[in-house]
Amino acid sequence: MNFDWTREEAELASKVSAVFGAECVSQLEALEHADLDEMRRTTLSFLKKLPGTGYLGLALGPKAKGEIMTLIAGQERLAVRSNSLFLAVESSARLFGGLLRGFGNPQALGQILDPLARGETIAAVAVSEPEERDSPAAALTYGVARGDGFLVTGKKSYMTNGPIADWIAVTGEIQGSPAVFLVRGDQRGVHVGPRLSTVGYNGIAVSALDLDKAEVPGSHVMGPFEDRRHLDFLATMQDLVLTMASVGLIERTVAFSKNYAQSHVRGGKQIVKYQEVRFKLADMLTLSHSSKLLAYRAGWLLSVGDPEAATVLRCAKVFSSEAAEQTAIMAMQIMAGAGYVSGNPVERAYRDAKLAALGGTTSEVARMAIAADQLRRYQVQAHGSH
Amino acid sequence: MDFSLTDEQRMFKEQVLRFARKELAPRAQEFDLRSEFDWEAWKKLGEFGILGLHFPEELGGSGADVLTSVLAAEALGEAGVDGGLALSYGAHTYLCADTIFSHGTDEQRRKYIPKLAKGEWVGCMGLTEPSAGSDVASLRTRAEKRGDRWVLNGSKMFITNGAIADVAVIYAKTDTSAAQMGISAFIVEKGSPGFSVGRNLIKMGVRASPTSELIFDDCEIPKENLLGREGAGFLMAMQTVEWDRSTLLAPFVGAASYLIERCSKYAQEREQFGRPIASFQAIRHKIADIKIFLEAARPLVYRIAWCKDQGRPLNHLEAAVAKLFIGDWSLKPTSDAVQVFGGYGYCHEYDVERAFRDGRLAPLGGGTSDIQKVLISRLM
Repeated sequence: MNFDWTREEAELASKVSAVFGAECVSQLEALEHADLDEMRRTTLSFLKKLPGTGYLGLALGPKAKGEIMTLIAGQERLAVRSNSLFLAVESSARLFGGLLRGFGNPQALGQILDPLARGETIAAVAVSEPEERDSPAAALTYGVARGDGFLVTGKKSYMTNGPIADWIAVTGEIQGSPAVFLVRGDQRGVHVGPRLSTVGYNGIAVSALDLDKAEVPGSHVMGPFEDRRHLDFLATMQDLVLTMASVGLIERTVAFSKNYAQSHVRGGKQIVKYQEVRFKLADMLTLSHSSKLLAYRAGWLLSVGDPEAATVLRCAKVFSSEAAEQTAIMAMQIMAGAGYVSGNPVERAYRDAKLAALGGTTSEVARMAIAADQLRRYQVQAHGSH
Repeated sequence: MDFSLTDEQRMFKEQVLRFARKELAPRAQEFDLRSEFDWEAWKKLGEFGILGLHFPEELGGSGADVLTSVLAAEALGEAGVDGGLALSYGAHTYLCADTIFSHGTDEQRRKYIPKLAKGEWVGCMGLTEPSAGSDVASLRTRAEKRGDRWVLNGSKMFITNGAIADVAVIYAKTDTSAAQMGISAFIVEKGSPGFSVGRNLIKMGVRASPTSELIFDDCEIPKENLLGREGAGFLMAMQTVEWDRSTLLAPFVGAASYLIERCSKYAQEREQFGRPIASFQAIRHKIADIKIFLEAARPLVYRIAWCKDQGRPLNHLEAAVAKLFIGDWSLKPTSDAVQVFGGYGYCHEYDVERAFRDGRLAPLGGGTSDIQKVLISRLM
């Protein structure tokens, strides 16, 4: 057992932190109000700074699971800076990049993967569909063979980075078997919907996707697969990303709240001197520590392929997302009226925190899976004999 | 970062789990109901080696590291061992015996540790007083040097093992003009003149662990029973915090595993509306929530133990965070477990009722949750 980061993990974290100097604060702030052009420019500008850190190439695909702890060390540093940028980067590098590196042919896909690794392109992954939110088994997106390629038809919802993406990986089926189709947002038959107005994460662009007989060459089709491991990979990475997003949000919110409580004066003294405020800060920090350690342990279990990794990751996601919401609620109470004014970090955290509980595996679905795992472990045979 | 346990640590935890399930857990209900200390279980703990796990072999221990000690304590909770027995073990081994081991002379170690490690003697620790709990500086018990003896006057309250202890580590003021630094520690043996045990407190939970008042009325002890140097008592008491936030918290973490097992099995057996209640989402979510608490709590405790094994000074912030989290967040799992069992959960014959009562100690004992918040907000 070792609760210290290894040198490699610490170095990666340090390099990622170094990308975000003081000059980045205004850029990241502006990202929250950016139109699509500005959002794309800003996102790309940060993506281009990251390749030198080694961050973008970590844990791409199941075979690279041994890099997950190093990845987490970097994710934490990025998430604490900006939840929006973190999600945009992770959707592009980790989900899209991991899908292609882990399940595609890297040589054949070099023209897509190389610029992605250099941070020169933005990518998106389209998985969820309007009619069946949590069951990819009922995919409504499919490809029909035509010549050397496929004509792909289908509908996708809630695609992060969709409106600013160069490439989109669309999950679907070919004759009932899972497949992934790589399309460009501006090609014929691909209709990226308008940017959706969301409660939080205003620094990312989310949209729906319509495919109407979009032509996809065979070289840009992954699969058909015999199993759904690529979808499992996506679900796992998405849950890990959202867990680390919550961890980062909590850390940032605690730090901001502490500074505010030390500088804001009421009743002739700093509000941090009031026990009600101090106790909230203590509760928030406790949630921060416990969320982090649980996330680290979940990541470590994933990295060593432990059989309980999936369950512990679900625990981490549920816990950290709910801890993030509680932290944001307490932070807003500390700031009172000032916290309710749009544009401050706590108000943003209050809105952003909600996503993690409903994105990826929802808290409800996660709890059912966690319980199912426990019920299997302590299975009772018929009528009480166990 | 690496969360792996060694093979030895894993196997030892399994051994303790098997032992505790077979030898200790079946006795819990009876002794809880009678509010009696289970001497037979105590003897078994001593024979198994748990009471002196981390002491050197030459003093009757096994030389285990702190993490292994935590795993053993966690296994007791996981096996469903009575919370009172686990508490008595913690107070005996870590708050009393370890303080003597860490700060005593060679002679004191040789005299007390082997007997305590085997469980032949029971130990306790007296810090809290009727009017001085978390506010240690306001201790009123005095120790005065008279010739070749120390004379103690005062009383101690809520002393785990107080009524059954053969030896006690007692904190008393030797310099009333100094606050914490005027506190010294003493070894007081049962039968010392002027030392008596007050009433046994009737408690909500951990009933198999006797809790009582200790009274010192011109209690005379030999001068060599001063533990460590004069005025160092407060620091000694603070050093027990490392154990308190690791080995003494671990049974509460282990108890969550026990509750998951009990609830999972019961929910599959119990049928309502023609199907096992395990098929209802509300029940499954409760089981999941207990598991989530377990997974969040465990690394907090392991971290304290690991740091101590590395020889690092206690990080008081991390210690307070662990105590606050397990104290406050462990209540809902015990309540959820009672809810899963419905009316039966309210009855003594189902262990979750005992777990519910025992668990209420977590945010109170060893420093209340409120004190942890004071500490955390000060340190952060």
